[in-house]
Amino acid sequence: MQHPRARDRRAPDVFRKGGWVPMREYPCDEEVDFVIVGTGAGGATLACRLAEQGFKVVALDAGAWWRPLEEFASDEAHQQKLYWTDERICDGENPLKMGGNNSGKAVGGSTVHFAMVSLRFRPEWFKCRSLLGYGADWPIDWREMWHYYDEVEQALSIAGPINYPWGPPRKRYPYRSHELNAAALVLARGAEAMGTAWSATPLATVSAPQGKSPPCVYRGFCVAGCATNAKQSALVTWIPRALKAGAEIRDLAMAGRIETNDVGRAVGVEYFRDGAWRFQRARNVVVAGYAIETPRLLLLSANHRFPDGLANSSGLVGKNLMVQSNQAVWGVMDEEIRGYKGPPSLSINEHWNYEDKGKDFFGGYAYMSQGPLPAGWASTQNGRGLWGAELSREMQKYNHQAGLKIVGETLPQERNRVTLADEKDQYGLPIARITYAFCDNDKKLIAHSLHFMEQALEAAGGKEIWRQEDDTCHLNGTARMGDDPRTSVVNADCRSWDIPNLWICDGSVFPTVGGVNPSLTIQAIACRTADRIHAIAQRGEL
Amino acid sequence: MKQRVRSDTTMLLALGGMALATTVLGARKPARPPRQALRRQAGREIPMHIAAASRFNHSSSLLALSVLADSAVEHYRGSFKNPAMFIPLVSASLSFFAGLHGGHDRRAASHPVRHGIYAFAAVAGIVGTGFHIYNVTKRTGGWSWNNLFYAAPLGAPTALLLSGGLGAIGERLRDQPAEDPHLLGMPAGSALALAVSAGLLGTVGEVGLLHFRGAFQHPAMYAPVIIPPVAAALMAQTALTRPRPRPRTRWWLRLTAGLGLLGMGFHARGIARCQGGWRNWSQNIPSGPPLPAPPSFTALALAGLAALRLRQTEK
Amino acid sequence: MNNDATTTRYPGYDVLNKRNTPSWDPITRQVVEDRLSTPREPRFFDPAQWAAATALCNCVVAQPGDRLAVPVAAMLDARLLEDQGDGWRDARLPPLREAWCTGLAALDAEAQAEHQRVFAQLAPDRQTALVEQMQCGRLRAAAWRGMPSDLFFSERVLHDLYGAYYSHPASWSEIGFGGPANPRGYVRLNKNRRDPWEAIEATAENAATVKGENTRVR
Repeated sequence: MQHPRARDRRAPDVFRKGGWVPMREYPCDEEVDFVIVGTGAGGATLACRLAEQGFKVVALDAGAWWRPLEEFASDEAHQQKLYWTDERICDGENPLKMGGNNSGKAVGGSTVHFAMVSLRFRPEWFKCRSLLGYGADWPIDWREMWHYYDEVEQALSIAGPINYPWGPPRKRYPYRSHELNAAALVLARGAEAMGTAWSATPLATVSAPQGKSPPCVYRGFCVAGCATNAKQSALVTWIPRALKAGAEIRDLAMAGRIETNDVGRAVGVEYFRDGAWRFQRARNVVVAGYAIETPRLLLLSANHRFPDGLANSSGLVGKNLMVQSNQAVWGVMDEEIRGYKGPPSLSINEHWNYEDKGKDFFGGYAYMSQGPLPAGWASTQNGRGLWGAELSREMQKYNHQAGLKIVGETLPQERNRVTLADEKDQYGLPIARITYAFCDNDKKLIAHSLHFMEQALEAAGGKEIWRQEDDTCHLNGTARMGDDPRTSVVNADCRSWDIPNLWICDGSVFPTVGGVNPSLTIQAIACRTADRIHAIAQRGEL
Repeated sequence: MKQRVRSDTTMLLALGGMALATTVLGARKPARPPRQALRRQAGREIPMHIAAASRFNHSSSLLALSVLADSAVEHYRGSFKNPAMFIPLVSASLSFFAGLHGGHDRRAASHPVRHGIYAFAAVAGIVGTGFHIYNVTKRTGGWSWNNLFYAAPLGAPTALLLSGGLGAIGERLRDQPAEDPHLLGMPAGSALALAVSAGLLGTVGEVGLLHFRGAFQHPAMYAPVIIPPVAAALMAQTALTRPRPRPRTRWWLRLTAGLGLLGMGFHARGIARCQGGWRNWSQNIPSGPPLPAPPSFTALALAGLAALRLRQTEK
Repeated sequence: MNNDATTTRYPGYDVLNKRNTPSWDPITRQVVEDRLSTPREPRFFDPAQWAAATALCNCVVAQPGDRLAVPVAAMLDARLLEDQGDGWRDARLPPLREAWCTGLAALDAEAQAEHQRVFAQLAPDRQTALVEQMQCGRLRAAAWRGMPSDLFFSERVLHDLYGAYYSHPASWSEIGFGGPANPRGYVRLNKNRRDPWEAIEATAENAATVKGENTRVR
């Protein structure tokens, strides 16, 4: 898509083919209350909640504003249009793979193609330095987070089990869990054989109608974008709400620079849209571009007053990048599995997130059932070096394949970081260089998980079991929150220590990453930030 | 996924058992005289209890139609993996025709073929419940909410049992004298009212479970768990207290009957709301809200009206 | 094609037969149609590169002999023409187009050095041997310009060729994948269960009947 759609006081209606909804518009020279860069789990949630409080909000997204019903094909290759496919350079001992795995470029951000797994942190993780002896403490209490998790789960109509086997009690999930597919039941059998609990995964796709969303039809193209709107992405939840509350969202608007004034306050954002660089004035700037684009923008905005980039007096902007380990074991089952049916991760085992005995490492992991589509599956097989006739033979087992895959915690390390490369992108902006290496603890965690899952898969009847050792997912850190300006970039309210009207609200602020998918926590943080901004504004301290 | 839901299942089973007791006892007991008390002479009114029996035949027939359609869809969804999955289709078809036949039959005597068909339906309902229980327990997770939601529905075969039960009761009733007919040691009107009451509660259990699965996403989904239980209570009251005119009960039963038809409309709309709507029927009919299910309330309410009418003539 | 490709477990199944069923929506029909009409002649590669790329695709991607081959090289050419990146690259690799041009030239150079012919002119077993050396990172001629050959093989050759191959409906039919699924998704999720619009897996005994049934899968 070449030209922005959100203009002339209307925006695409995601629920109707060719439809439009009214949208408020602000002139660039009007100083709005908030300009938010990014409309994913962090930005869209915050835009909605702030607009609902009556703030004037403009949100920018580099990606397009799609109408899923008519523009999302059932096709892995075509749907790469949802991914951030602008070049990034990856190095370090374990160079990351980016793109579809972890980065979205669309209104709605990565939630448009996420796997919908909506998990809460283990409460202890918010104080993992004090309680568990690793990482860094969060400046937020878990009980407060529990409240915001409730809010997000309601807002997204999460379909989850009646009783979740791990962690403190929570409100009942608003929707019932989905029927389990054969792949999910393989995990269940394995977990039972290993003597651990298992559960239907709480998912952000509805199991019964919700508003204009029909129930999930189990088409299985979730990570290529949901063409039915059953998936409760930011695109179909927070963003329509934000529009209704008077927010303006500008698609195909790439932020290139945050301007600051002589007294060191942010004054607005320079962005590229419809062939020209423009400038939106704002009283507050929120960066919500996820753990690569957020530090990139802060570093790109360096000026004479902030030569190392904005909000970077601690020197930590771009550092402590944390992915999650995403290793798997795969096996062939006697029975037909046909994992392409239904959401890919319908069942989960969080045992090793909550059990600390028997570990020779810090942190935890969850593992989930899998349902790769053909190209994704071929790529996984390529990863073990297979090609030619050997690969064809393996691919013939596609419908009998089952796998267990972790979302594993990695520790924050300053050497894992985002910096600016010399190469420039299509906007003329230096691209991100991403440096990553697992530490020994990460490797021990991975080894533990592979060993455990191998036994579980075998107990479930898996044959020809092999280990996939090379994958990672999710991006966090690079602008961590904390109590101390010297060791963190933002405070508990996601407000930068250095520039009081600059906020960061996405996965970048995570001091640690836990062993669960981050989207629910990002949205909970955004809801909390909105409430905190409300309180701060009430005191006249905004 | 170890949520234990024994209490719900026990409840369902208890209700099924009640319905079962009514039918089996009714079906098994040898017909009592006096058969000579046939009242078919022209110009004479059809006795109350025969009229009630015919209405029970009709209700059984409607219920059987609902079972036929529902089990056809559900077992098609289950790919008829087990040949036994054809049994409810056969049994419900037979019950349907037996009911039509019985609905026009004014004879004061049970019809052996019809009676046999109803007994078959009742047995098929019981065996089916057994199969469905087995299906739930053999699944990974066993007695979990997820299996109760998505494995073979425990309450579904009970509808077949109810259809057989209503029909069999009707047949039993025909063998009774016109004066003071009795069933199961109580006035026939009371027995019929209790059977309907139990049937309503059993059906409510099933609907409650499935609407809970649907997260009661539409306010109308509460109606079938509120209106029929009241009808069931009113039927129990009708059975257990002195007979008298009960316009409120009649009104409520009519409401319940209407609810069944309205429910079908809501379910049709539910299918239209699914992705692809009616054009995607091959998915949305088996996966969407079950179109043939709600009329079972209509069938039971109509039987309730017949029971009520009979009960009002009793002392 | 040069490799023995295993026969499919889903004889008779063609996902394109579902094109006019509720499993396919208009956008998907359009996207797949566009892909199927990818021009067979190169628009990005020059003749020498095209010869090398075609030979490499034939060598690496095994295809069944009983149907038209998926034009992997043409699909690669189309992608390079659009310069459609993945969103990342290993720092040791140059950008997409440059990596391919360098890699294909290097393959020709290696073939010339060893066998005095370009890669496309080598016998299939020699091509395979060379590719295996590339996979192990043993090819280090100056023509690689410092690009590790094993990385080129894993990150570009396998990634790009198989990405293209498994975006083609013929490959979906071959592995019994249900294919596009909107608005109609799936109903039967349990093990060994199949919706009527999914392929039937054949065994040695029933292949013939299954073939007939699969042609009717819609």
